[in-house]
Amino acid sequence: MKSHAPQAVALALWGLVLLRSSIDGRLDLLLRGVFHPLVSIAGLLLLVWAMLLVLPLQGRRSKTAAPVVAEAVTPRHWQSLVATALIAVLLIGLPPNPSFADLAQRRPGDDSSEAELAFVLPPAQRSLTDWVRLLRTQSDPRLYVGDPVRISGFVLPRNDGPPLLARLLVRCCLADGTPIGLPVRWPAGNPLPKADQWLQITGSMAVQQGLDGEELVVIPQRISVIPRPRRPLEP
Amino acid sequence: MDQQGLTRINTAWALFQGLLIEALPFLLIGVLISALARWLAPGGRWLRRLPAHPLLGPLSGAALGFALPACECGNVPVARRMLVGGAPLGTALGFLFAAPVLNPIVIASTWAAFPAQPWLLLARPIGAVLVALALSLLLRLIPEERLLQADVLAERQLNQPLSAVNLLQRRSGLVGITTATASDQQESRQPLTRPPLQEVLSHGGREFMQLALLLVAGCVLAALVQTVLPRQWLLDLGSSPTSSILALMALSVVISVCSSVDAFLALSFAAQVTPGALLAFLLLGPVIDLKLAGLLGLLLRPRGLLLASAGAGLSVLLISQWINLWLL
Repeated sequence: MKSHAPQAVALALWGLVLLRSSIDGRLDLLLRGVFHPLVSIAGLLLLVWAMLLVLPLQGRRSKTAAPVVAEAVTPRHWQSLVATALIAVLLIGLPPNPSFADLAQRRPGDDSSEAELAFVLPPAQRSLTDWVRLLRTQSDPRLYVGDPVRISGFVLPRNDGPPLLARLLVRCCLADGTPIGLPVRWPAGNPLPKADQWLQITGSMAVQQGLDGEELVVIPQRISVIPRPRRPLEP
Repeated sequence: MDQQGLTRINTAWALFQGLLIEALPFLLIGVLISALARWLAPGGRWLRRLPAHPLLGPLSGAALGFALPACECGNVPVARRMLVGGAPLGTALGFLFAAPVLNPIVIASTWAAFPAQPWLLLARPIGAVLVALALSLLLRLIPEERLLQADVLAERQLNQPLSAVNLLQRRSGLVGITTATASDQQESRQPLTRPPLQEVLSHGGREFMQLALLLVAGCVLAALVQTVLPRQWLLDLGSSPTSSILALMALSVVISVCSSVDAFLALSFAAQVTPGALLAFLLLGPVIDLKLAGLLGLLLRPRGLLLASAGAGLSVLLISQWINLWLL
């Protein structure tokens, strides 16, 4: 038996996986935003490629070109096709649901030293990532005491203290995600929040004695449980 | 299974998807370039005109990286096309091992990540060329029939001049003719017409299908190791100059992140490690990592793959040690 069918079906399946991933929002959980168009374009190209393989192109061939020789389909081709189909079904049917806390607990924190920030937002408009980056350029925590805070993030348990409110920084994909976080003075008498829970905290900044000297801590006035944001990863 | 086990499986599944979905477009770019080369230059004559000199070959192969601004996944199908098209072995290997670093996107991302460390902007491409040279010279010690996978070798021998293939391996041609005549005859039997587009598309499709499955295997391995192994252990090892280099080399193999963005990742722990270790991370990952292992296995037999891995590890260690001696 000679046919281009196994290649065409396999290419179409990979194309569907990439397009489905672009549509169902999972890319927001897996990849940095700059890569999203690349995935969509690759998915479209794979589908077009598969269609070109099954469409009869022979009629449009140049007269000088060699005749088309379809490749013999071997059992190995069918095995590859079955494996591709199985993987495609699993990828489409089982969307990712990672635990950011589990991932972050097994990673060292982001330790990059920031260059001087060109633009600093007013305190109440700063995200958690903005606060962490600002603290790296102006590391004296006393400068920010009393500043209003409105930040969101997931709860990241620590072995050496109460949980942090954290975010994951991603340069490429989830595999290179590194956590950043801010200490929070959780209300006394209440149970500590669960790992991975997404919270929005409104409050103010204060200073406390940490393991490495004075550190900034968020004093919450209001803590709300929120769903995981549509784009939870930070660049 | 307990809740923690399920959580870890979910995280590993997400890591796998992240690695795979990010790498597939780059793999597609590589396969498309390979297919385009096959269509535009049937028989790959221009490949056989690349220099075969032991030093000039790998250097010219490395320089070809500027023509393919993709990461290592995209380079494998192009290197395969070079090998089966009859390019000199050293040239194809020089491209395979150096091009993932020696391309404009990777150099620009390294500069963007480390603008205050100009030595790194020089040391990374120079180191990549040195590693590729070392590996090309090392792998030449193994005869091609024991280095390359059987299907690559078979197609390569069809595209090589008869004079380059020994008598027992020839499938066509005449015994007893001179080298010059053999070459002429080989040239004359090359098809002058382009292969039909559908045949090129079918060939490329088969290549993509095969490489994508190998990529899946590599991503599964990388995701599992990343989930099981806490990354902090490796960084904690990096207190002394040599152990920091070894730790970062292990980290680059495990993380399997693509070479166009690995500099930004390195930025996150650059302050915790020695300069040599930082360079080791940026040099070794593009040559060999868990995600790439399956793809490279499509070109090289296990012996070649092991020798390439060991050679890459040793040359990166030596270069990075020298950097530590110089900068520390």
